[in-house]
This record gives sequence, C-alpha cells and structure tokens, in this order.
Amino acid sequence: MFHFQSFEDDCTLEEEGLVEEEDEIDQFNDDTFGAGAIDDDWQEEHARLAELDEQVRDGVHGAGDASSVDLPLAGGNAHSSALPQPSSSSRLYPDTDERGGGDLAESLTRLILGSDPAIAGVGTARSDRSHLPPMLSGQAPQPSALAGQSSLLLSYQQQQQLMRRGPAPLPQINSHSIWENSMGFSPVSSGLVTQKEDKTLMSIIKEVGLPNRPPALSREEGRDLSERVPPPRSSSPVIGSPPVRAVPIGTPPKQPMSQVHNHQNNHPSAIHVRASVPLRYPPPFPERLSPNNLLSIANSPLSHPPFPAGVGPVLSQIQRAQLLNSQIGQFPRGPAPPLLQGGVGGFRPFFGPSGPRMGPHGPPLGHAPIRHNTTHLHPQHRRMLNQRMQNRGLGDHVGGRGVGDRRNRDPYSNLMTQREKEWVARIQMMQLQSTDPYLDDYYYQNYYEKMEKRQERDRDNRKEHTTKLITPQVAKLEHTYRPVQFAGSLGKLTVSSVNNPRKMIDAVVTTSSNDEEKREKQVWNKRRQILYTVEKMYSLLLEVQDFEKKFLQTPEHQRDALLEQHKTHTLQLYNSLREKEWDDRVSDEQCLMIMSVRKGKRLISRLLPFLPQPQAAAVVMGIARNLPALAKKDKQDQVLCWLVEPVTVVVQSMSSTSLTDLLQELQGSEGQLPLVLQNKFGVTLLYLILSEGERMQSSDPNCQLMDDNRWTELVFSVTRELLKVPSSALSSPLFTPPNLVSLFSRYVDRQRLELLQEKLQITALSR
Amino acid sequence: LGHARIFTFFSFKHCVLWVIVKLKEKHLVLLRDGRTLIGILRSIDQFANLVLHQTVERIHVGKKFGDIPRGIFLVRGENVVLLGEVDLDKECDQILQRVSIEEILEEQRTEQQAKQESERLKLQAVKERGLSIPKADTLDDF
Repeated sequence: MFHFQSFEDDCTLEEEGLVEEEDEIDQFNDDTFGAGAIDDDWQEEHARLAELDEQVRDGVHGAGDASSVDLPLAGGNAHSSALPQPSSSSRLYPDTDERGGGDLAESLTRLILGSDPAIAGVGTARSDRSHLPPMLSGQAPQPSALAGQSSLLLSYQQQQQLMRRGPAPLPQINSHSIWENSMGFSPVSSGLVTQKEDKTLMSIIKEVGLPNRPPALSREEGRDLSERVPPPRSSSPVIGSPPVRAVPIGTPPKQPMSQVHNHQNNHPSAIHVRASVPLRYPPPFPERLSPNNLLSIANSPLSHPPFPAGVGPVLSQIQRAQLLNSQIGQFPRGPAPPLLQGGVGGFRPFFGPSGPRMGPHGPPLGHAPIRHNTTHLHPQHRRMLNQRMQNRGLGDHVGGRGVGDRRNRDPYSNLMTQREKEWVARIQMMQLQSTDPYLDDYYYQNYYEKMEKRQERDRDNRKEHTTKLITPQVAKLEHTYRPVQFAGSLGKLTVSSVNNPRKMIDAVVTTSSNDEEKREKQVWNKRRQILYTVEKMYSLLLEVQDFEKKFLQTPEHQRDALLEQHKTHTLQLYNSLREKEWDDRVSDEQCLMIMSVRKGKRLISRLLPFLPQPQAAAVVMGIARNLPALAKKDKQDQVLCWLVEPVTVVVQSMSSTSLTDLLQELQGSEGQLPLVLQNKFGVTLLYLILSEGERMQSSDPNCQLMDDNRWTELVFSVTRELLKVPSSALSSPLFTPPNLVSLFSRYVDRQRLELLQEKLQITALSR
Repeated sequence: LGHARIFTFFSFKHCVLWVIVKLKEKHLVLLRDGRTLIGILRSIDQFANLVLHQTVERIHVGKKFGDIPRGIFLVRGENVVLLGEVDLDKECDQILQRVSIEEILEEQRTEQQAKQESERLKLQAVKERGLSIPKADTLDDF
C-alpha cells in the first residue's frame, strides 16, 4: 500500500524545513517528496487507496486524527514521498473492515503501521518483517490492481497474525493521532516494519512528532528498541548544514536480516515487492555528506565482503591515508568532508579479530564500534583495550540476559541510534588525527618507542617480531572555506549556522596616498633600513663573539677552518662600516647611519673589541670625527657612553701618531671642540686622549708624541678652549684620568693651571 | 600530555559508546558550577551536550548526601567537567549516608555560611595587615 523504504538521503525535508505542517507542503517542490519523487502517479495511488481507506475507516471509529497522518504516497520507486497530506488522512486507515470485526485488532495495527510511513519505516527488525513492507508500501510502480493490493493486504494480514501483539495497546490507538506524542502508538510503532534505516521516514517523524516508546512490549530476545523512531530532532534549517541522517545508505542494518544480507540498502521490502526497488545509493558526489554517509560509502566496499577472521587491517597505514585523501579529494570541500577525513581514516574497520562480527549482521552491541578506531593505537595498547572490552562484554552478557527484560521495557534507551553514537564518536576521534604525532602526542610516542626498544633488547635473541607503533599521519590539508553563494544573488547568506559561518567583515587594506604620510613613510623606511643593516651586522657579531666558545669545542683539525671563518666575519663587519673598499677610512655616512640608532651604538661598542687595531682605530677616528653629529642624535638616548669602555681600550693601544690624529679629528673644524665639550662622551674621550698622551710622554721621554708639534699645538688649543668655555657648557666626564694635571702642567702656566683645575674639578689629589 | 590525550580520547569514545550502549546505566555528571547530576544518559553529541533522563541532583555535604529529583536535563557541553558511569553495585555499599532533601539543603546552607564567615575573617585579617587579596574570577570557581 504504501512504501516507505526509500526514504533515502535525498529527502531533504529537514534541511529545507519545508515540512512544518502537513498543510504547508510545498507541492511544487519535487524535493518535498524526495528528489525526483514521482515515477508514479500518486494520485492514482491515492484514489485506489482511498477506497481502501474508507472501508477501513468505517470499521474503525475515529481511529486517529485524520489530519495528522503522514502517508507516503509515491509509487514504488525508491523516492517515496513521505509527506503527509491533509487530504490523505483518509488513507490512514487501511481497510480492515473487509476482514471483519474479528480482525479488528490486526487491522488496526496494520492500519496504523501500514499507513503511517513514519512508523512503518521504523520498528524492530523481525524475521517476518520482510514480508510486511510489501504490503505497506504501495511499492508497485505500476498502478496495481486493487486485487493485487488486496492480496498484499491479505498476506499482510497473515503476517499480522504472526506478530505478537497484545491487543491491549490498540484501543489507545483509536483515540490518538499517531502524530501526537502519546503512548498510544508505541506498541504500534514498535512493531512492524523494517528499520530505521529508513531515513526519510524518520525525518518526517522528526518533523512532526513522535509517539512515545511502548512501555511494554513482548518481544523476542532482548532486542533493543533502537529501531524506535526517535523524537524529532531539530537540525539547522540552513542550507549547507549537513543533513541529519539517522541511518546512512549503505550501512548494514542493526539486526540480522538474512534475506537482505546482500543489499547494502536494507529494505526488506525491496525483496518482496514485485516491482523491485532499485538499490538506492547516494548520488556520486553529493555536496554534503554526513560522516556516516561518506564513511559508509567508503567502507562499504570493505565491509560487505565477509572477511575471514584474522585478516589484518586491509590497508597499510600509508595506503589508508592515501585512500583517505583521495576519497576526500573527490568530494567537494565543505564542512562535511573534513569531518569525514578523520572518520574514514580512523575508522577503517579493523577486520582482525572482529571480522565475522563486522558483517552486516550487526555487531553485538558495544563491540563493533570500538573496533573502528584502533588504528591509531599501538598494537599492545590495542590488545590491552580489547581485553578490557572483552572482560566487560562478558560481564555484560551475563548480566545482560538477566536485565534483558528490563532493557526492553526502558522506552528511552535508544534515543540515540547506533549510527548517531558512532557519528559522535567519529568526530571525537577525528580530532585525534594529527599531522605531526611527535608534536601532538609526544609522550605516547616516546613511551611506546621506549617500550619497543626494551622489547628489542630483551628479545634480541629471538626473532620475534616486535610490535611497532605506526601512527598514521594525516597530511595537512588546507581548507579554505567558501560559504555558499548563490549566483545572481546580492550579497551573502543571511543565516549562518555552525556549518556555514558568515563572513561578517570584508577587510581590505588600503594605502592612503597623502603627501605628509609619504614623507613620514620615507622617514620610517630609512629608519627601517638602518635597523635592518644593524640587525645583519649583529648576527655577524654574534658569530664572532661566539667564536671562542666554538673554537674550544671544535676538534683540532677543524679549528683552522673556524679561525678563517672568524676572520672573514670580522672583516665583513668592518667592511660594512666602510664605504669604499679601498679606503681605510670609516665611511662617515655609514657610521653616522648606524650610530644614529641606539642599537647601532651598542653594536659598535661590542664590535670594537673584536676588530684588529688599525681597524678599530679607524672606527674610533670616525666616531671622533663625527662626534658633534652623533652627540646631537644621541641627545635623546644618551647612550654614547656605552662606547667609553671599548674606546678606552682602543685609545690606550693607539700609537702616538694615531693618537695625535685622533685628537685632531676630535677637534676637527672650528667650533667642533666646544660641541664636543658639551657632550659627556666627548669630554671623556678628550680626557682619554690627553691622558694617554700624557702617559706616553711621562713613561717614555723619547716618545714620538713630541716629534712634531702637532700634539703640543693640539693640546694648547684644547686648553685654550677649556679655559674659554663657560662651565655650564662643559659637561662632566665619566671619569677624570688622574694624570691630567701633570699634562696641563706641562703646557700651561701656573695660573691657568689653577683655573683649569678649578674648572675641571681636577685636583692634585686625583693624581 | 599527548599520551594522556590519546588515552582519554580513546577511552572517551570507548566510554561514550559504552555509556550509551549500556542501557539503564546511571551516569554521573559533574558540572562546572560544582553541581553533581546523576541520571541516565540518553544522548550525547560532539560538543558533549548531554541529555539526562530521570536526573537527580545530588548534594554532598560531608558524609551526607541528598537527592533532588529534577527530571530531564539538557546540559550544554561546555559546562560539563566530567561524565562517568555509576557502578550500581558500588553505589549500594557506599559509606555516604543518604538524608532527606531538606536536611541536606540545610547542611549545605550551614556549610556555605561557615565558609563565607571564614573568608570574611581572612579578608579582614589580611586587610589589617595592609595587604589585599585579588578577587577570584567568579565565573570559574571550579
């Protein structure tokens, strides 16, 4: 009568949110009834069935709320329309009247079960289940004669009698709409038909409402009530959310169904209906797949051929990853595939010990799901967990028999279908997929590595195979999420869900071309350049500084090479200060540039000790030469004094001529000296020079300092300047060398000496 | 930590399936605000949102506890600290003493008051010494 078997994934009822009430069915939308819904003229079916319905209705008083019945109408193809139609309410009640009052009970049940596609598609599996659906599903694509229908119904009736169904619940059915969340329907729903693989069916039910679970059901062995239709589940109505699927196509049914063993798509009805329903597979590359779907698709080639026990994982890890990636590559990137990656990779069925159990028979509860994700684990770890599981399982089975009854009576125990549980678990496991196991799971890897090494050591004699841990590494894949866009539409999606977030801001970088800003930019660019140069020099410098340490560490034969390297570095450093290759002078520009930055000054101060004497001297000269400018630039930083120490060293090792030169440089052109004197560093430097000269003179009477008059003249001018400069313009040095007094005493008379002493605050005591 | 993670995740999944598969098993959920809920876990999702059935909020004070029946709970995943099965056997022979709801609430109130009092004293003492204790972030008490 009605078929329900093909409520496949393509039923987008939930997603499209089109089915709110029965009255608001979008009749123009094919998808309402399943993609390409109609092979068959439902109206004919309707007419045919209406007759039956009327008969039935006569026999059933007020059975159910007509308006709320949901009937699948489409003909016998896989795309059944599962939508309720207001007008179809009359069809809710299949003919029972024919059978007479005696069969009222059966007919009622059949009525409810048969007509209600939602319920019809749901229910625990029964061995005779397969026989039922044919009747229920108006499968026949060609309008079958009423007789045919009747015959189907008849056989259905027979089936009904086979069913253990207490009449008790039935009266309830009469008074309740199946769409009301009443207890009345529970018994009914538990019954008949196939299974919850019927997705569209389920989705309808979810939309509309669900009767409660039956409180009491006499069932065969503790079958779980997982085939119960779950309550309506809200899913994001936005296009782009992964469809909520209770059971994906291609997954084996939970219950053993020998007849449909061969079919991936387990609708037992398919077998018995005359017009066979083509197996419904999802369209090749659907846009959106739930993890379940894709996984089952991916797994289906693997899962169905029964694997002999003991077959190890079919693919090696690498192959798996490749397969995984290739599969994923086939599908358009979207929210779903990333989920699947891990899912598929992590859940290649582990065909080893659980092979036979993994078949379409539906694994015993609790075992199969665990098997999936063992690929990540070290074999021993896996073994350990299996043992644990088995222990539990055993314990459960023992206890399970006892509580079988109890379980049956718990109406809520299977709100989550096995698929859903696996789906959630898969998502969790996916997160464990790592692109770099050593980064993500350092301790685990190390632990097992150590263990392996220990094992190898211990078993060194034996040729036993040590279990190795292979952690699958998922290649890092870049996903650029592009939200769904519609051609020709203005703007973006207005509704965003977790799966299609909306880009709120389109941030674009714009450069303003303002003159002022351009100048500023230039300034900054220059500064950046300087810093860049300084940075590069620093790296060289650091190498140079570390040389000694390295030298000590390198073995003998390599030391020469290292030395060479060191020399090169230092040369390079010096070269960067020079402008022209052949000129030994330190480039003023460069020097200035570098020294204008605080970092640069630091750099020079660190560099000086490493430079060979002549080069160092040149540097110091350069500094002296440019001191005023440097002083000016240093006003803010005041870090020139960092240079004092290295400069001291250099100065003290200078020759007399160079010293003289230095002094000259320092004095430079007219007016430089006062500026120098204003600066702390300058003064200090000056004193240094003078002090050095004095030292030279006093230590070695024949020193070359006095060979020409330069030194003397310079000192004279210095003293003159010192006397001339007002005290305020004279900054105090960092330190005052003790021998200045003796220096000055050589060149100036007593009076001036005293003046100098006072001014410079140098006393004889400091000698 | 990575080691632990793999284990916990595996055992989580292991656990998830087991906890769901094991019907009629009570589960204990600890929430971030410190509440303890015990109920039958009916549904779970990837965010650890939980649907608990026949939930009971259990308040522990000292060695006593009291249950407040709450019905059906939907817990948002971010507030879950942990979830575990209740071993029905062990539940029977526990040393905790079950009391009535009123009593346990009373006990709780007393405990809260005592705690507040001690806090206040502490704060006062600290203030007297010229120090100050920064206020703890009240959002994440546990």
